[in-house]
Amino acid sequence: MQILQYIINGIALGSVYALISTGFSVIFNVLKFSNFSHGALMTLSAFVGYFIAASNGWGLVPTIIVAVITGCLVALFGELLAFRRILIRNTSPIYFFVSSITLGTLFEGIVVLKVGANFYNYPRFFGKPLHLGSLIISQSDIIIFCISAFALIVLAFVIQKTKLGRALRSVSFDRDTASLMGIDVTRTIQFAFIISGALAGLAGVFLGINYTLYPTLGSLVVKGFIASVIGGLGSLPGAIIGAMLLGIMETALISTIGSGYAPVFTFLIMLVFLLVRPRGIAGSNIQEKA
Amino acid sequence: MSLYTHILTQILITVVSVAGVFVLTGMTGMFSLGQAAFMAIGAYTSGILVTKLSLPVYVAWPAAVVLAVAVGFIVGLPTVRLRRDYISLVTLGFGEAITALLNRATAITGGASGLTGIPKITTLPMAIVSAVLVIALIMFFKRSKYGRQCIAVRSDELAAKSMGINVPKVKMIAFLISVAVTAYGGCLYAFYTAYVDPTLFGWKKSAEWVIMVFFGGVNSLTGSVLSTFVLSGLPEVLRFLQNYRAIIYAVLVLLIINFKPAGLLGEWELTPANVKRLIARSGQPKRTKEVD
Amino acid sequence: MALLKVEHIYKSFGGVKAIQDFSIDANRGEIHGIIGPNGAGKTTIFNVISGIYTADEGAVLLDGKDVTHMEQHLITREGMGRTFQNIRLFKGLSVLDNVMCAFDPQSRYGVVGSLLPLPKRFAEEKRGREICMGYLKMVGLEAYAQERPENMSYGHRRKLEIARALTCNPKVMLLDEPAAGLNPVEVGELTELIQRLSREIGFVILLIEHRLELVMNISQFIHVQNFGKTIAVGTPAEVRSNPEVIEAYLGKEEC
Repeated sequence: MQILQYIINGIALGSVYALISTGFSVIFNVLKFSNFSHGALMTLSAFVGYFIAASNGWGLVPTIIVAVITGCLVALFGELLAFRRILIRNTSPIYFFVSSITLGTLFEGIVVLKVGANFYNYPRFFGKPLHLGSLIISQSDIIIFCISAFALIVLAFVIQKTKLGRALRSVSFDRDTASLMGIDVTRTIQFAFIISGALAGLAGVFLGINYTLYPTLGSLVVKGFIASVIGGLGSLPGAIIGAMLLGIMETALISTIGSGYAPVFTFLIMLVFLLVRPRGIAGSNIQEKA
Repeated sequence: MSLYTHILTQILITVVSVAGVFVLTGMTGMFSLGQAAFMAIGAYTSGILVTKLSLPVYVAWPAAVVLAVAVGFIVGLPTVRLRRDYISLVTLGFGEAITALLNRATAITGGASGLTGIPKITTLPMAIVSAVLVIALIMFFKRSKYGRQCIAVRSDELAAKSMGINVPKVKMIAFLISVAVTAYGGCLYAFYTAYVDPTLFGWKKSAEWVIMVFFGGVNSLTGSVLSTFVLSGLPEVLRFLQNYRAIIYAVLVLLIINFKPAGLLGEWELTPANVKRLIARSGQPKRTKEVD
Repeated sequence: MALLKVEHIYKSFGGVKAIQDFSIDANRGEIHGIIGPNGAGKTTIFNVISGIYTADEGAVLLDGKDVTHMEQHLITREGMGRTFQNIRLFKGLSVLDNVMCAFDPQSRYGVVGSLLPLPKRFAEEKRGREICMGYLKMVGLEAYAQERPENMSYGHRRKLEIARALTCNPKVMLLDEPAAGLNPVEVGELTELIQRLSREIGFVILLIEHRLELVMNISQFIHVQNFGKTIAVGTPAEVRSNPEVIEAYLGKEEC
């Protein structure tokens, strides 16, 4: 029974991690770099959602809508500010690292400007937890899981079945060839950031619900990174699987050895994966050709 | 002690760590978000050895650096064989793990409230000498066989291997030098501020150092040093703009990345030869276009 | 004893059979040309021989030593040098330093010497510079020692790659389309350079080339590849009149 509880809690946690890791993976797949501003974007969107919607008593759905829209817009703005010239000038991709971190600093600075070091809390969106026998399932977990699952299914549909999704996949595979085939690479990359931003906004709200709203909430993006590595960098299904696994493992670890040491074990698990199966559960093995 | 002495000492201590990051990231192209964790290991180990075990400083500091290098070797073993993208994520995870450990092992480290009571030993002259020594060592390294191989590895790993370069070995050397130097910076830091706590050594700090290297010019040690002064000193000077500091800093860096990605100094190093060339060129009259 | 012996190597990537049963027997001073349409697996052959890939089957013997499963950089140290189809020079280093990188694995000082101004380090650096300048002189680039590769012409960059590969003290030299992108004058210079190197140093040269005038003129033996298989081996004259080769390049004659 206890294991079932772990699994349920783990899946709830994992679904939020899945939003984070897929948002992160979309950019990684298309641009081949780690967008370190993703965490701060989540925080910024969550706070905007709070100040515009939640603190005015608008309820969960409007808050989500505001956060998602914020995520999309800010992500687009960020792309222009930090990444566009690197892409166009074909500067070494090493610079994405620096500009994404700096962009994150910018986003976080904006949040701190408004909020200082204060904590904020979303109002109560949910009722009492459900009891199924000896299992306890909180309403927020169910709703978060459902919305996340829905969002990911929509994402899968867009990537697999729409023209823009195909464009995304082509650009991920080979940017130059895609552009030679007539794909507007800049538009496609903007689209990738819109998707990533939307997922960030959604993830931010859910993190804010599960924890509290504070300026460095975005540092939880590390979980998304680790989930992506475990699941396999370069694979969207891998990001989801990795996130679920991470959620369940973490829940089990926290219940047994306490939340303090959990990061240590998460790191060790990640190391083990990298040593034993570097391409992750679902990632692809890319070999460099001469 | 005046405010300026204080700021200068802290900047110089940062220069020591940034020089280490220059070797690892600037020269070898490995992006680590965990170097600050090695500064923590240096700071905490030396602090604990002196405060809890009453070891003399000249034993504690080398011991701290040795421990850091040992840990660095263990972390480095899998890391140097990873693809570039993974290195930042693994080192990030490592940094988080160390922060968690420091927070939890309250009995030894003082936990979240930090380690106090460290004697104040570091002085401005010490900081200056340390910074100069480290810069000199790394200048030598840059012109040495391993320095060249680091740059080759950064530029094209496959070609480097084809020329007989043992890539994991070169990466490990760069990594360990960076770790040793950063750990030493940690000792300087702990024995200057007399207090350390886990929040000082997170991935954001590691990221700051990487940004300083890029800001100054990835191929220029002089640039890294200069940008450390600029990017560390500026927030202090702009104290009155308290809340806007992070934003101004971010905008500055984004401007450089967008408009001069080669960094402030690009490739230019402060060497006798280059200084001579600079003086010679400024003495020449400006060339005018030939009009036929 | 053949300096390079490649025995029946096979290499597949997933379902793609890149190399099927390739063999070579090369002695000192020989130049072997490898020709064939694009996608025939020629660069893959080089990659297997030099250790970037490991052969699925078969063996590679360098001067009698089995290097089939050896790591890339160790194979180079056994005496193999190569150049690349898409020039791979080291950005951020001068022309001389690019060549020094190939000398560095042989340099006899360690990490301590790298950090400190020790006499042994200076002596070795001097020795290395002399050796490398020698190779630069051999390809005619000694005047460009302090230049940046990015600032040089294409033809010069190709020569630099050769100088760098020479510094590996190769017994076997792999040249991958060294004439690609060169104008006729530069091709002439390259031809003369390759022949001179073959005469003066006497190593084995394997040459992948599309410029048939170049490769036919200087090779003792030609291997013709198509779709991973060797369709002909022989002297240039033999290969030129081989009907299968003609078909592969020009198509079947319609009667």
